[in-house]
Amino acid sequence: MPDSPTPVASATAGFSSGLSVADFAACLDMGLEPVGLVQGFCAMQSASYALAGAQRNLSPFAGQGGYVETYQCPHGMVAGEHRMWGQNYEQLWIEQSWRQGFSSALSRMLDEAVAHGAHGVVGVVDTQSALAGAGIIEFHVRGTAVRVNGVGASNDAPWTTYLAGQRLAKAFEAGFAPVSVVATIASVRVWAYCITEYLMGGGGIGGWSNTAGATEIDQLVRANNQVRELVRASARAELHGDGLHGVDVRIVEHEHERGDVEIQALLRGNRLRRVGDFQALRTPDPTVRLS
Amino acid sequence: MSDVANDRSPDLAAVVRAAFAPSKSQKGGASTTSDLSIDEELNLHAIGWEPVELVSGYSVFSTPVGLWSWGQGEIVAATEAHAHAFANAISRIHRDAAAVGAHGVVGVAIERSVYSTYTEVTLLGTAVRPIGAGAINASGLFVSDLSARDFSRLMIAGWQPLGLATGASFVYAPRRTMGAALTQQSQNIELTNYTEAMYNAREMAMERMQQSALSMNGTGVVEVKVVEGPMTFASHAIGFAVWGTVVRLAAQSHRPMTPSMVVSLDDTRVAFDAATLE
Repeated sequence: MPDSPTPVASATAGFSSGLSVADFAACLDMGLEPVGLVQGFCAMQSASYALAGAQRNLSPFAGQGGYVETYQCPHGMVAGEHRMWGQNYEQLWIEQSWRQGFSSALSRMLDEAVAHGAHGVVGVVDTQSALAGAGIIEFHVRGTAVRVNGVGASNDAPWTTYLAGQRLAKAFEAGFAPVSVVATIASVRVWAYCITEYLMGGGGIGGWSNTAGATEIDQLVRANNQVRELVRASARAELHGDGLHGVDVRIVEHEHERGDVEIQALLRGNRLRRVGDFQALRTPDPTVRLS
Repeated sequence: MSDVANDRSPDLAAVVRAAFAPSKSQKGGASTTSDLSIDEELNLHAIGWEPVELVSGYSVFSTPVGLWSWGQGEIVAATEAHAHAFANAISRIHRDAAAVGAHGVVGVAIERSVYSTYTEVTLLGTAVRPIGAGAINASGLFVSDLSARDFSRLMIAGWQPLGLATGASFVYAPRRTMGAALTQQSQNIELTNYTEAMYNAREMAMERMQQSALSMNGTGVVEVKVVEGPMTFASHAIGFAVWGTVVRLAAQSHRPMTPSMVVSLDDTRVAFDAATLE
């Protein structure tokens, strides 16, 4: 990180916190002492978007590894505008760029937490915002650094979690300890071949379209199933035997042309480690609220 | 600060301290992933179940161009596309769950979109099993959109989920003649073509969901979701779609839950709106 400024607050000068009052109170009950609001930023430019508009008339993408499938037109040469080939491929460079941006912002936040002498960071919030038209994404990660009362200084990197307040307390009570936030992405580009283009709504030379009836669009089905599997596999690779809880998966699709889509799956979750034997809870009592 | 906290709840602070003791090592085995909240996992654990893996299913079906504009009766290709998209997405999430040795999938989030030229269905949920149980025959595996909490309640009451039942119908609302349209323009009058189309769509969709439930040997469908109304992209087409979780009594008889009455002492207005304190 170029000329990183010194962390913004000293642990001896009072604390700042991004916690709500309720979460703050719950932290105190857990023996977690807030020591500072910590943040990390990173702005990343990805070269991919400059490439994206230029490939339709080129030959299929050779691939850089990862998931690639190529579809060939069954019609033979029809016309210059006919989509003779189609392709699904994993945009590894986008995934790498995203992960680098996120991990840089996260590690900068952790640097601030270490400077505060914190054991962990709770209530992590991460956001990504695109700078208009520039292919640049800003990564923001922030949270509240905490010290665990009664636990000495540690040389380990601080643990992190999206949880705070009672949700974090319940995780501890259930025998889990937070390890880290997990956020990852999978990105698949679909270059529709003629069949996919027709099935998505017609177009191309002669305005061909689906006239047969309900038909599954295989190329899109495979791309969508793959992007979900890829993002789950990427998250699993970070677990090393721990569990990932409270997972949130968001799918963003951007359609460039009919059938030409970019599908991104963003996954977030809490990596938790089981540190206590499972204690079966008694069956919950049902209640009816009179209010 | 910490003394006050420890006075309030010394046990919890001790639990947290112990969690970070240097001697603590991992007690679990294989990694698991789950989109359940901690509350939901605790509910599951309370009835002896555990999350295994996040699973998903997706399908998209094309429908012919110009399908929605003119015709009479049911729009068969649109209805088939909806049914097949649901069936294939369910089949894929079922396959994912079977592959990880789950006994079922709970909390399935269903996203379904109908466009003029295609219909898309996405399912995402958490595969679950009784704690430590081995794999079962995949035919006995259920897929349910009930939350983990509702799944727990259902099991406690002696019922079991069997799968997702769906039904849909898309119907043309016949166009009026030019003369009828002109005559009716200055009247307050019910457009029976639309009303009848809606009733027809509803009848067929509900019938299909019921047949789907019976084919699973279910006795009912709970948490039925209904999406109905005119199609935004076609002026003379009506859609009605339903889905829910098929259930069957597994115990000898229904177990009454006899809930306790509670009165919450929370006052949300005072807690979250400082203006009310004035």
